[in-house]
Amino acid sequence: MKILSLVLVSFLILTSCTKNRDLDTKVLNIAVTAEIKGMDPIYADDTYSGGEIARVYEGLFEYHYLKRPYTLIPNLADGMPEVSEDGLTYKIKVKKGVLFHDDAAFPGGKGRELEAKDFVYSIMRLADPKLQGLGWWVISGKLQGLDEWREKYASAESVDYNETIEGLQAIDKYTLQFKLKKPFPQFLYSLAMPFTYVVAKEVVEKYGKEFLNHPVGTGPFILPEFKQSNKIVYTKNPKYREVLYPAEASEEYEKFLVDAGKKLPLVEKIVVNIMKEEQPRWLSFSKGKLDYIGIPKDNFQSAITPNNDLVEDFAKRGVSLVKSTGLDLSYIAFNHDLDLFQNVKLRRAMSLAYNPKESNRLFYNNTSTVAQSIVPPGIAGHIPGLNNPYQGQDLEKAKKMLADAGYPNGQGLPEMTYDCPSNTTSRQMGEFFKNQMALIGIKVKVVTNPWPQLQAKINNRQVMVFGIGWGADYPDAENFLQLLYGPNKSPGANGSGYDNAEFNQLYKSASVMQDSPERTALYEKMNRIAMEQVPLIYGMHRQNFILFNGWVKNYVAADFDWGHSKYLNIDIAEKKELLKKL
Amino acid sequence: MNIYVYIVRRMLYVIPILLGVCAIIFLLFNVVSPDPTLIMLGKHATVEQMESLRRELGLDRPYFIQYLDIVKSAFTFDFGRSWATKQEINTMIANGAIPSLTLTLPAFVLATLVSISISLLVAFFRGKFIDKFVVFICVAFMSISSLAYIIFGQWFFAYKLGWFEISGYEHGFPYFIPYVILPIIIWMILSVGPDVRFYRTIMLDEIYQDYVRTAKSKGLTEKVILFKHVLKNAMIPIITYVVIQIPFLILGTLLLESFFSIPGLGSMTLNAVNSLDFPVIKAVTVLSAVAYIVFSVITDVLYTLVDPRVRLN
Repeated sequence: MKILSLVLVSFLILTSCTKNRDLDTKVLNIAVTAEIKGMDPIYADDTYSGGEIARVYEGLFEYHYLKRPYTLIPNLADGMPEVSEDGLTYKIKVKKGVLFHDDAAFPGGKGRELEAKDFVYSIMRLADPKLQGLGWWVISGKLQGLDEWREKYASAESVDYNETIEGLQAIDKYTLQFKLKKPFPQFLYSLAMPFTYVVAKEVVEKYGKEFLNHPVGTGPFILPEFKQSNKIVYTKNPKYREVLYPAEASEEYEKFLVDAGKKLPLVEKIVVNIMKEEQPRWLSFSKGKLDYIGIPKDNFQSAITPNNDLVEDFAKRGVSLVKSTGLDLSYIAFNHDLDLFQNVKLRRAMSLAYNPKESNRLFYNNTSTVAQSIVPPGIAGHIPGLNNPYQGQDLEKAKKMLADAGYPNGQGLPEMTYDCPSNTTSRQMGEFFKNQMALIGIKVKVVTNPWPQLQAKINNRQVMVFGIGWGADYPDAENFLQLLYGPNKSPGANGSGYDNAEFNQLYKSASVMQDSPERTALYEKMNRIAMEQVPLIYGMHRQNFILFNGWVKNYVAADFDWGHSKYLNIDIAEKKELLKKL
Repeated sequence: MNIYVYIVRRMLYVIPILLGVCAIIFLLFNVVSPDPTLIMLGKHATVEQMESLRRELGLDRPYFIQYLDIVKSAFTFDFGRSWATKQEINTMIANGAIPSLTLTLPAFVLATLVSISISLLVAFFRGKFIDKFVVFICVAFMSISSLAYIIFGQWFFAYKLGWFEISGYEHGFPYFIPYVILPIIIWMILSVGPDVRFYRTIMLDEIYQDYVRTAKSKGLTEKVILFKHVLKNAMIPIITYVVIQIPFLILGTLLLESFFSIPGLGSMTLNAVNSLDFPVIKAVTVLSAVAYIVFSVITDVLYTLVDPRVRLN
């Protein structure tokens, strides 16, 4: 009996060692599903690292929190740029009085004022061949003299940051000037991406290679030291400049104007939990330990009705649902280097044999939008109501098309290989594709690959057909159309190797045009070619279903949500009340 | 032979073994694996960037020089920085080893003690109902997937009953304790089945030895025979089985760490494999090899302590 009591007492003591939850402070508790690599903006090539970096660092521009279509607004820039008539020179004023976070790297440990030269330094870091910044593609080939500077130091021992670069200069303390080699209308989007966020030279020099663990930015939150662990805790920057919650919004977001005019950020602390598995994320959300969550696939039916609404039980607990269509596309690509796939009728037949609706049901819980062509909804170039004649299963038509292609009932066709990543869902999608093609007599073998292997096979043109996806880097159709631009072949983004002279010409013309009805017309023309020629079998534009607890205020789903945590608010009284129901 | 001379001699074997391990790592990396620059540069890779990155990583140097680099890092334990995260690898390992050990070490010690105790018990009751029942339970435990224990344990004990934390980890004593109790229990359930069966076989092997019959005929009680003689004689296979598992404890346990968000070395290794992070893979492989050699020497030395008949030659 004594032993049993001892065990029970020890058990109670051990399980009660948890640190108490602070319910009186506005703390945002969120989860991310992958490891955060580090806090250096030039390596922020994945969604998660970019998101974390954007809590501490800032860039010249950002996307308006409450406006759709996505609209760029100044962040550290003092107004929108002055662009020369030829579209080659951008003059950007930098806000005065912006301070870097306090850090030992600065004299007296006090963060100094931001200057235009800090952006020059930060962008040169991105181009530095010794650092191999992963966002180099954002500015590669765009700024006068920058590629040459990078090339010059590629084999040198060290890099000279004091050299003047024609296309990247601070012309006075608060004015930045970019000179482009040729017009690149998407340039401003680059300046809203975490890759180009501003860092201070003294901090980089003080910490050297450990800089990635010492984030010192100008942003709304402070992280004194980054450690690769299961949790990152940010605190509010007490010296954050006066940035106010927006006072205007697109019609659908007007309900989020309650906090309009309030000084940002609205929460005191952010706790980011790294939770790779779906179940603990889901259970933690259900216990109120996380404020919002993307619904895991396996829990979808327990939270969402067949009509894609929230189940009553969740609504009673104060949970809300937000749905948003992502700027992305899943697709099955042909290897256009193979003579076989030069036959457009074969491509069309395969597209007609594929059932995207069933794929949507099986793999996306019927939540996604079936893609009609390459440009997703929400950006110029997408054609509402477009109806792809080769999309949606029609087996009779597919068989006829296959016979017209010279392969009646699949006769004469070699067995095709379908390459995909080795995770369960991708493999299941491969099996689904195999079964669909079997319906018209095409034999397919599914080959699963670890992700690096698949990338290498696509790059080396060792694939026939492969399943893959693309998420937008910025809200411009060019980012999707480039997937079919011939000169952009692997290892560029055009993994299928599609090369169509007419399409290429249109792309080339559109790529130097500013946003205008003429450019949209070209985008739409390319979008139609991409539909007619079936260079890819189009899959889905995914829809995100996000649940958030009732105490979370101002939650708005976005594809480019860098820096958005400053707008979120927590209602402490409501939280205490709602937690009792969980 | 003096025990110290033996240890030094055995440790000298580390040199050829490490050279061999380095050669295997080098071959696997250069022959089998895809181009790491493509993985690192991702969807926007260009030929020029890939070449530039290859140059920066030193992958354009002659093979022999690259091999020497691997050998140098293996012998100096200076593994440099991760290609994927740019973090210093020794720091990554140090940061990950403690959370891994806070889970695996107590779980391993407890599971071993419980398994040996149960196996002694069933050896005592061999052939009787309790023996058959324990064997049945062990087989039943082993037949269920580890994932099932994790998912059920997390849902029922942590979420429904609220006895444990669902997931997470706090650094520092005693804050980590509530986060590792449930994973430790699951580890124990997973280990006890195979361990009890293994130890039971060892005990039964010993029980049928001549010396046990002699002890019985001398009138010693079953308890004395089991604890004083059988257990002592069974120590060599037990030590072999136990000590050789210790180096792998540091490497953590992938599934448990992943489901319970414990920032250990298991997930670090998996991430490195997925992102083809060669320096991290190299570090983990080399350290595993060294740890394996060290612990096999410790095993040999322990033999001499538990059985004076064993001579180290």
